Amino acid sequence: MKLPIAVAVVMIAGAAGAGPLPADVLVDEGAKNKTIWPYPQQDSGKLIYKDHRRDLSKWPTLSYGDDRATPRPQRARLTGTLNGDPARGKAVAMNKGRGNCWACHALPGDPQAGTAGPSLLAFKARNYTDARVYEQVFDARVVNPVSAMPPFGTFGLLSEQELRDVVAFLQSIE
Amino acid sequence: MRLALLISLAAVTAGAGTALAQQRNAQPYREHVPYIDWKPDVTGDIQHTGTYQYWKDRKALNPDWVASKEHQWQLNWKFMDPSYDDTLHGGHIARDRGAALYKKLDAGGAFAACLGARNGDLKGLRANHYPQYSTALGRVVGLEEMIEHCAARQNVTLENGSYDNSAISVYVTEFSNGMPINIDVSKGPLKDAFERGRERFHLRNGATHFACATCHVTLVGRSLRGQVLTTPYGDAAHWPTYRTKDELQSLHVRFAECNRNAGAQPLRPGSPVYSDIEVFLTALSNGYPVDVPSARD
Ligand code: HEC
Ligand code: HEC
Repeated sequence: MKLPIAVAVVMIAGAAGAGPLPADVLVDEGAKNKTIWPYPQQDSGKLIYKDHRRDLSKWPTLSYGDDRATPRPQRARLTGTLNGDPARGKAVAMNKGRGNCWACHALPGDPQAGTAGPSLLAFKARNYTDARVYEQVFDARVVNPVSAMPPFGTFGLLSEQELRDVVAFLQSIE
Repeated sequence: MRLALLISLAAVTAGAGTALAQQRNAQPYREHVPYIDWKPDVTGDIQHTGTYQYWKDRKALNPDWVASKEHQWQLNWKFMDPSYDDTLHGGHIARDRGAALYKKLDAGGAFAACLGARNGDLKGLRANHYPQYSTALGRVVGLEEMIEHCAARQNVTLENGSYDNSAISVYVTEFSNGMPINIDVSKGPLKDAFERGRERFHLRNGATHFACATCHVTLVGRSLRGQVLTTPYGDAAHWPTYRTKDELQSLHVRFAECNRNAGAQPLRPGSPVYSDIEVFLTALSNGYPVDVPSARD
């Protein structure tokens, strides 16, 4: 037994059909953000567990005992005018802890641009409608079912306003 | 349009193509990255990234590429394995500690026997026998899980993934240096583990909805802001490894790090899923020689 018993069985509040998380999922209800990770302390036969900066227990894991479903692809409809703020959108897109779009996409002024997705430089010239860009960022699976891009809206990674801000930012890239 | 999408999505899941995928129909909705044609041999990379030709011989790596940020990924980071660049690093210190710990545990010869060594001979144990189905434990285990089990029989705590456990693993593994990995995943419990591991490798999970295969297959050769993704072929022959951020790391602890970096919930080292992925990845190193103590950035 590697974890204190109290850690092994944890309830996830609110998740649909949620039972206790399986014992092999590294979650400690008492830890800062629940999610913990193993660190091999030098010259010791025991692992120490460190706090992760974020609670990752809310999404389906690799564990065989995890019976939670993944949210299905969702086509979002943009309602009303975009009403997004490009500066705020930039702060979300070019930030490791937020949208992290630059991990995969080239964005203005990034010297180590990611190449996993298409460049978003000169995005404005593509003349996409706001609705189309919103749909893509909300859930890329409606455009490409096997997309590598995270479903930011469907998975609740960005709020509706953050999505609007990010779209406004992209649409402003000359 | 909506309908067409749903159909193509169903095709993707069916594309996972195993009995496992079908069994899952009754289970909650999950998605997989489509399988590629995996071969349980390191030469399978020829059809995957085609980089194998550049790293198949660790002693003949292109020195210009070793120094080139653009080309390093095509060498699969093999220039950090000992035969190519045997600089002293934390992995060597760990090996020495592992040797001392091993000798203490094996004073009566029981530890070696428990690990499966004949007459205390560790040669080839790692290359030819791990991961394996353990009759004592009734499941497929990697070398580190077995080290934990065999130490526990002497009332010594050596948790799978801990420094001391990995130190012993490096020591034991070194006796296989130069010997190609050789595990048989064509039958029995290892075949089942290989197939389960392959399925988990393609299973999307976590906040970002990535699978291992998103990065190590779909995006292989691409850069995530300076980190270029490499082939999973040939990745299991240099573990445990010394990470230059100063951490002696077992393969399972590496999986936990990949999970967490990718925004996905890590699992416990030694968990059934990590053990199965270890079998899958070890089979992708079949034919590639063991080499420790290694280092990785
Ligand atoms: C893991 C990599 C990854 C991340 C992170 C990512 N994307 Fe993408 N993105 C892709 C890929 C790959 C495509 C290509 C289309 C597809 O397969 O979905 C894409 C396509 C796009 C497109 C369509 C471009 C076009 O010309 O049609 C937009 C817009 C976009 N991404 C915006 C974003 C934004 C905004 C974020 C951050 C909130 C983001 N992406 C994060 C990988 C990523
Ligand atoms: C977000 C992308 C991403 C995901 C998802 C990911 N990895 Fe990684 N992984 C990396 C990067 C980047 C590296 C370091 C560069 C390399 O070796 O490819 C790495 C390295 C590794 C290594 C070490 C290779 C070596 O030569 O030392 C292993 C093993 C590994 N990953 C396995 C996995 C497994 C198993 C999973 C799924 C549980 C996974 N990865 C998921 C990005 C990822």
